[in-house]
Amino acid sequence: MVDLHTAYASHLREVEANPSALERAQVTLGRDMVEFLKRGDKALEAARKALAYASGNPSGGAGAILDPKEIRLMSPVPRPGALVSAGKNFSDHVAEMASKKGPSSPVAFLKLPGTVIGPEDDIPYPPEVKNLDYEVELAIIIGKACIDVSQDDAFDYIAGYAAFNDISARDIIRSENKTGIHLMGKSFPGFAPMGPYLVTADEIPDPQNLKLKLSVNGETRQDSNLSYMIFKIREMIAYWSQMGLNPGDVLTTGTPRGVAAGRKPDQPPWWLKPGDLVEAEVEKVGRLHNRIVAE
Amino acid sequence: MRIYLGLLESSAPNQTRIFVAVDTKLIDLPLAYAGYLSLSGDRSTAYERASFYFPETISAFVVRGEQSLQALEEVVSYVHKIGGDDLRGPAGEKVAYDLAEVRVLPPLQNPEKSFVIGFSDRSRLEAVPRAEIPTGFYKLPQTFVTSGKPVIWPKFSAEVDADACLALVIGKGGKRIDAARAWDHIAGVTLLIDITARDINRREGLTTNNLLGKNFPSSTCLGPCILLKPTRAELEALEVELAMDGSIKQQFALRDCVFTIEQMIARWSILGIKPGDFLAIGASMAIQDNRLQNPVPLKIGSNLRCSSPAIGELSHQVVSGGGQRR
Repeated sequence: MVDLHTAYASHLREVEANPSALERAQVTLGRDMVEFLKRGDKALEAARKALAYASGNPSGGAGAILDPKEIRLMSPVPRPGALVSAGKNFSDHVAEMASKKGPSSPVAFLKLPGTVIGPEDDIPYPPEVKNLDYEVELAIIIGKACIDVSQDDAFDYIAGYAAFNDISARDIIRSENKTGIHLMGKSFPGFAPMGPYLVTADEIPDPQNLKLKLSVNGETRQDSNLSYMIFKIREMIAYWSQMGLNPGDVLTTGTPRGVAAGRKPDQPPWWLKPGDLVEAEVEKVGRLHNRIVAE
Repeated sequence: MRIYLGLLESSAPNQTRIFVAVDTKLIDLPLAYAGYLSLSGDRSTAYERASFYFPETISAFVVRGEQSLQALEEVVSYVHKIGGDDLRGPAGEKVAYDLAEVRVLPPLQNPEKSFVIGFSDRSRLEAVPRAEIPTGFYKLPQTFVTSGKPVIWPKFSAEVDADACLALVIGKGGKRIDAARAWDHIAGVTLLIDITARDINRREGLTTNNLLGKNFPSSTCLGPCILLKPTRAELEALEVELAMDGSIKQQFALRDCVFTIEQMIARWSILGIKPGDFLAIGASMAIQDNRLQNPVPLKIGSNLRCSSPAIGELSHQVVSGGGQRR
């Protein structure tokens, strides 16, 4: 893996003879992912130069090239501005949850941005929860501020993609739904594993046709495709841009069939428990593996 | 005491400062305290020491706890002694401002938890016993505006309303806080108007969601300041009213609400709460004539005013956000 700041600074120093290379690299690339996204094409261009420099100097690069084992990956967007998670958005999932029909317009809720964790982090199992569930999804990371965009233009605002697991406490959600909306049941600390990295949009020309897979302790439990989405990615972006979206905001697609709350037959009732290893994978994007640990 | 967050004309866009209201003036806290400290010698470190006690945001200020509260007491009694106009910073800087000279910002900028307690489906309320869980919803920080800014009617809605709320500001963080200790975690209180696109909210409610109906630019009016550390009795007696074009539409106090401070803190601290977070509860959760009050339908062009004498007021013009798109 290439440390972009170091590699770009080396490029600036050695190729462009820039005397304040480190400062320049920081300004151009930004200090974190949201700053990087806000800088847009300039930052991407700098990243390409950094990569070219690193591949031209495989042995050197002054510490720019690292063994992935040396790196603890965080979520690519550790704290989104808004984390908009779609619900009831796969025809196969709507059927298994015994909803009569899909919704007439996009459905989503806000997960708290503070719930995001990295691709290898543990998911704390809260003592209040009895029915803990998983939901593999694709995360769409917004790269440019937008409001009221059309479906045709929607893809221009996507910076990239990541795998996402919408961890859900079904029993808490049921009790919240009696008088309110689901907020707590979706937003305990660590309920939003995301990663393993941001794959830039140019790498995935057709995000609407990717396989989604989730396994628990090696057993496959969800196996579907983003082509079954009811409201497609471009429809989601157009619809949710009505509230205004900013760089670093994240939309997630909703999940296909196979969640614990819907799977049949699962006898006796089956839920996630401490010790389980949950692996959520999106084709061409990557895989998360998170272990459930008692809090 | 009332604490404001603001920008001065001279400051850079991100250089927010905190102010305390004394009589009709807003006192620049880090500078006033630096002036006070430099009186007793050591002028060289006065600015640094003062900015430790009075950092750039109110959230950071409440984290400092007792130390900063004590420094605040010192500043205020110093201001009373000297008088606003003669008050200066260590190098003669201006310290006391008129409200109009400060660009006041929403007092809390980026809380992790900014919740309003409420039911999504009021028609089911009759079936709900009084002690049911205080469910709530999340208002995105990007929707916050403070007094003086317009409330922009979202073009995706034909039906927009407002609900006056009191937001309890967290001063001390914690997780799974015992109800008996709830009060220790409150730093103060501010006003909030929860603006809702009701037609959207109703549709989203069918799937027990509310997102777009509650979160669009200027859908959360917050401020104008934090009333710091009221006593329990003061807080529960604070009368809040919401007026449209001068006529009062909602009136409530915390004691009329169907949930107590203890219930709200005990419930939502399950997720963990931090200094600068808030839990708000409004007129629509307050009983009047044996039923919950209703939100107030808005009209483009009207003036919306939410006030409580000890806190101040939020005043907003409702403006069109452009033609109906659908």
